Amino acid sequence: MNTRNTVLDLHDIQGNIVFGYGRWGYPVSRYLFFKINNKRQGMAFMKSLVPLITSSAPLDKQNNGTAPPATTNVAFTYAGLRELGLPDESMRSFPEDFRMGMKARKDILGDDGPSAPEHWDPIWLNQYDVHVFLSINATSDTQLEQRYEQILQLIDKTSDGVILLSGHRDGDGSTLSDYQSGNAIVIDGKPTANEHFHYVDGISNPVFKGQGRNRAETVGAGKPTRASATTDDGWEALEAGEFVLGHKDESGEYPIAPKPRLLSFNGSFMVYRKLHQNVGKFTSYLEMTSKHYGDAKLSTDEKQETLKAKFAGRWSNGAPLSTYPDYASAEEFGEQWQSATEVLFYQADATTEEKNNAREKYETLKAQRRGFNYDHDVDGAKCPLGAHTRRTNPRGSLEFDTQGAFDTPGAMVNRRRILRRGLPYGNSSDRTNNSAEHGTIFMVINASIERQFEFVQQQWINYGNDFKLSNEKDVLLGNHGETQDGNPDGRTVINGNKTLGQPTYMCSGMPRFVETRGGDYFFIPSLTALRMIAEGIIDPT
Amino acid sequence: MGNRFGNAYGLTVLIPVKPGTENNRAYDKIIRDQLQSWPKHNESPLARVPNTYLARVFLLQDVFYEGAPAVEEHLKNKYLVFTSNFHGDLDTYLYGMWEEISDVLQVLLKYCFAFENIHSATEFVRYIKKCQINNSLFFNGSNDKPLPEQLKALYVKQAFIHFAYLTQHLRNQGDSGAVNLQQSFKKFVDLIDIENLDGNSWPVAATQVPVEIEQDVKATIMGHKEVSK
Repeated sequence: MNTRNTVLDLHDIQGNIVFGYGRWGYPVSRYLFFKINNKRQGMAFMKSLVPLITSSAPLDKQNNGTAPPATTNVAFTYAGLRELGLPDESMRSFPEDFRMGMKARKDILGDDGPSAPEHWDPIWLNQYDVHVFLSINATSDTQLEQRYEQILQLIDKTSDGVILLSGHRDGDGSTLSDYQSGNAIVIDGKPTANEHFHYVDGISNPVFKGQGRNRAETVGAGKPTRASATTDDGWEALEAGEFVLGHKDESGEYPIAPKPRLLSFNGSFMVYRKLHQNVGKFTSYLEMTSKHYGDAKLSTDEKQETLKAKFAGRWSNGAPLSTYPDYASAEEFGEQWQSATEVLFYQADATTEEKNNAREKYETLKAQRRGFNYDHDVDGAKCPLGAHTRRTNPRGSLEFDTQGAFDTPGAMVNRRRILRRGLPYGNSSDRTNNSAEHGTIFMVINASIERQFEFVQQQWINYGNDFKLSNEKDVLLGNHGETQDGNPDGRTVINGNKTLGQPTYMCSGMPRFVETRGGDYFFIPSLTALRMIAEGIIDPT
Repeated sequence: MGNRFGNAYGLTVLIPVKPGTENNRAYDKIIRDQLQSWPKHNESPLARVPNTYLARVFLLQDVFYEGAPAVEEHLKNKYLVFTSNFHGDLDTYLYGMWEEISDVLQVLLKYCFAFENIHSATEFVRYIKKCQINNSLFFNGSNDKPLPEQLKALYVKQAFIHFAYLTQHLRNQGDSGAVNLQQSFKKFVDLIDIENLDGNSWPVAATQVPVEIEQDVKATIMGHKEVSK
């Protein structure tokens, strides 16, 4: 009997949960939303979808040994599950956050002012219209289009029993699309991991038991122990129940989940948010505010890049401030990363030995991007206490240098971890533009929306008390408001660094850089549960 | 007993409400009606009682029945409950309370047992002490300094934040030099008048940061700039 290891049936868990599809392998995506008008036709549509659904099993083991060129996954809103005829007792057993939906949780999420639901994309304006979420991630535009057509054909067969909802703002914001696109941002012909403010995004996703990851991969990604953060011993995989329902979580229990167990087992909850990015405002604020930052002798680029890094906790190239506190070391990291990935992924004539060396270098750099904490930076001299990545993934720093304050350094954070999925959308090549459609399709996967995503959003993004920053908000994602005389009121303190001769710098008059443009809460069933929903045989009695 | 925490005092008082009605409304309901019509925040009568950190007043109708197998119990009376965390000793606090809000107290407490005998501050203090119950545990959530000092400290902290932001802004606009900064700071020190607890301060029971603080700091520093040009 296996008494120690968590075993996950990856073939039963939908894809993009246990592993993200990855921006290099699957750089293009479409998100479709359906309304179910007729229960029978809705169930028939689900049944027809099952063979297309991608699981979390290694992609090359799903499709006769070749990775699928396009993936498909589905999830449901509460209203959607009701339309599909789930029994009342099951419906009542879902947690309150999911039952209410994202719009009704706006006060918790800080979706006010320009982020308020009345300003969202038209698809979200009618309450209870969105029933089904369907995502396609693909290796190429052709593959994406093919799978999309295939789905439309299945929809046609329902004779309007299921309809594809239009109403995603697109282009310059005045046209509406039948689907939401998400695409890796391409620079010099290569898909990148950048988002529209041009930071490398999505670096540290949590590692949990049952993923089958090796120990090196838990460095900086699991939960912190008291050993050194740069070593394997410094981290342990999180319990699977933080992300997949029906498995033990960090409290040593099964997460709260709907009944019957077969409905929730191997399922999860997903948050879908369309986050618009005011690229022009970000660019001009950074230009203006960095003018006086740091030593007057520094170049404009160095000033801007350093302040930009201080906002995020990472340099735009992904190097963490905690390990690379100054411009020169971050530049060096960038060059090494560039040369290693060039040889590894793009240089066709590289020898095996060159590739092996590059692979080794690449793995080392990747580990350095993740393997750190803030134990040697309690005052925020390297990475400010209010930097985005330090807020949203505090890595045990909430002990504030009082070793042993908690049983484990992760006591305050291990139950607030989220898996981040999704891709950027739109084009931001005009760096002065705010109004065109460009931003991030931000998706979160977690076992409890309230305990994980909503907590991070409410306490760590839009508030600062846990970091001893009173009511300061996250620079990048905070819902900065306006003063009584109508000026932007966001502010933050960039902690000084005596060693580098950087005095404390105060940034004020910060406008809202990111605005919510739509979204909802979804339940992602396992493949077993999806089949049962399609057959109408969910039975909670 | 645990009524004291440094210089802070935790007072818990249960005042029994008489049975009876007036104009078809039970006394306890009249008391609650009154409490619910009290003005809020800085207009609240409790905001006028000197040195109050945090006070609560409410009507206790009965004890809660926890369900079987607990024994079902009931109070003999309804109680007006008053709890307060404050600075200093109990007598001074209660005398101050009578002095400031005896008009409100007399209208409220006339529905309580034996209050008809209370006509002076001394009698009021004795009455409240009779109704006092000792705390088994009291933790004071703020420091134990007198309230005017705490309010002044809050004010100075907030004003200094604005000073810091403003002088950094002025420096970035070309206003360089230690002399300028020193002069601005002197003006700032005059404005905050740190020893004077009756001067500029944080208003009692303010529910949001008063905009006047930023405006004053700005006017002081900028005004001084205009003059020195």
